[in-house]
Amino acid sequence: MALPKTLQPSLTPDELTFLAEEEEISIVPLFSMTRIRLLSGIYGSFQPPSSSKVPLWLAISLKRKRKCRIVPPIWLNVETLQTLLKNEKERGEEFGRLPGRRFVEVSKVLLDVAPDDLAQPALLRSLLKDLREVRQAKIRLGLQSEGVMQGSYLQVTNLTPIELTELKPFLVKAMGMMQALEPRRDEAEGDE
Amino acid sequence: MEEDYFSLSSILADNHKLSCTFLLDVPGLGYLEGGSDPNIHQHGKLELPFWLAQTLSLNEFTTFPLPPAYSNRVRAALNASAPSVRLSNLVGGNGWWYRFGKRIADVLDDRPQTELLNMLLKAFINRLPPLQDLAAHHASTDASVPESGHGTGEAFREGMEGDERELFGIGQDSGRMVKIWYDLPWGRRPSKLS
Repeated sequence: MALPKTLQPSLTPDELTFLAEEEEISIVPLFSMTRIRLLSGIYGSFQPPSSSKVPLWLAISLKRKRKCRIVPPIWLNVETLQTLLKNEKERGEEFGRLPGRRFVEVSKVLLDVAPDDLAQPALLRSLLKDLREVRQAKIRLGLQSEGVMQGSYLQVTNLTPIELTELKPFLVKAMGMMQALEPRRDEAEGDE
Repeated sequence: MEEDYFSLSSILADNHKLSCTFLLDVPGLGYLEGGSDPNIHQHGKLELPFWLAQTLSLNEFTTFPLPPAYSNRVRAALNASAPSVRLSNLVGGNGWWYRFGKRIADVLDDRPQTELLNMLLKAFINRLPPLQDLAAHHASTDASVPESGHGTGEAFREGMEGDERELFGIGQDSGRMVKIWYDLPWGRRPSKLS
């Protein structure tokens, strides 16, 4: 394979973020313009007091040029994140359901590019970090769970792609080794 | 741990030597023993690389006892505390302990084969959690800062065998990649891609 080894196992976080930029988000434009046709679709029209839906990449681009205000997604606020965190802690070994597959990427991009459009960005940041840490701890526990120890499976329900990216290469190799070392039970059973 | 024909690690693991006993006389190959005798006699002992010993043993020209790296002593140590056993120097320079053990197991009969594989698997499973912790720890710390302190983690790291070291590297790299992504504001490229 021509790809470098680090890129072979799965998508990189950057590539995932690139994909996440296709997610739709509402903006309040600070300029007036009629509908515009771009390769990926038709957006607009942009009339200042009313909001319009655009892909995240366009929102970021406009925001960087100070041409819009981003309306945060309904889940990106302190209460929702606190609920998610609480839920995550109470669920035991299972992973909580996150709002959307690109939750991690979208929330990070918004906090990086448009912190002034969010309420209490510092608190949001720390809540997201806590959430990540709780989930990381669960992944760590999961890697030592019975399923992995038998070399058969890891419970990853509700994990998002970016969390899997971090886990996959290690897990695949570890599982591969266990499979190779597993005594051939099937054949023995077949002989009986 | 694929048995790829072209895998250098597999070739290296195959090249490790094994102490074999000949079950028959072999005329003309005495020079292998390094002695003055021109022939190899029955019950003569010789260190053979595994790829040779495998074929000879399958054809019942030679036998070999389980190498000391997989002996009861090592098994007992693994049972006592798997993470504190140094697997790194048990099998040759690179120490492909699992690979080599697996290759030997392939030659063995059913019972000893299952026993050997079970020992390898159990060792691997018991060593996996500390390995994962260590990889995660090293991924989250800055590589340019010199290591400080020699805790149990460092001792474990020095005792890792070939495949464990690869696994450690993989875990460390993917963890670091995600950490860099988290640490850098989106849209700003790192000055140097590592």
